[in-house]
Amino acid sequence: MELAIGIILGCCALGAGLAMIAGIGPGIGEGNAVAKACEAIARQPESKGSVTTTMLMGCAIAETTGLYALVIAILLIFVAPNILVNILVNTISSL
Amino acid sequence: MKKIDTTVKKESLYILIWTVILSLLMQSVILILNRWDPSILWGNLLGGGAAVCNFFVMGLFVQSALGKEEKDAKNIIRLSQSLRFLMLVAVGAVGYLVPIFNVVTTVLPFLFPRIAIAFRPLFEKRKEGE
Repeated sequence: MELAIGIILGCCALGAGLAMIAGIGPGIGEGNAVAKACEAIARQPESKGSVTTTMLMGCAIAETTGLYALVIAILLIFVAPNILVNILVNTISSL
Repeated sequence: MKKIDTTVKKESLYILIWTVILSLLMQSVILILNRWDPSILWGNLLGGGAAVCNFFVMGLFVQSALGKEEKDAKNIIRLSQSLRFLMLVAVGAVGYLVPIFNVVTTVLPFLFPRIAIAFRPLFEKRKEGE
């Protein structure tokens, strides 16, 4: 029983850690996008407003990938273990 | 202190309005399912506030980065992304650890700005059509 609970908790933690790998990408992507936006504004300063708007929306969309991972990781760490352990306990007690 | 760009203010307001609308929708769905309790409202307020704050801070960092050199801009945005990510992790942890917040309704509003942006082209097309 303890071993099964340990495996469940370990797998949840491992899954959360793996999900957070997706958090690396948005930072790199946003950095590159803003760098290119700087270049665009330097070439055409009059387009600053539209570039900033597109930039903000683009950054928010890029960041969503990381947020999906974050939400999954939070649910795996805080919510899933209780539910899975309850299912395990109920299954064992019904046998 | 540097003045906040009107674009950042406008977009943050747009995200705020949509977050409020989607939060009300989520609250009403939970109310219909008969599972509502105050922790759901507090969690929603915490998560929604963090989502709007995250977008606004991102806007401020983008505004400051646009005036810099390409390499500096890249570094500023990477740093801001890491800090904002940590802030959201902290908010999620608070949502779980403090019993007055419901963790699911704390975490779900983080995705509301993405939904708001997904709806944006609909309104822009309508404006162009007019």
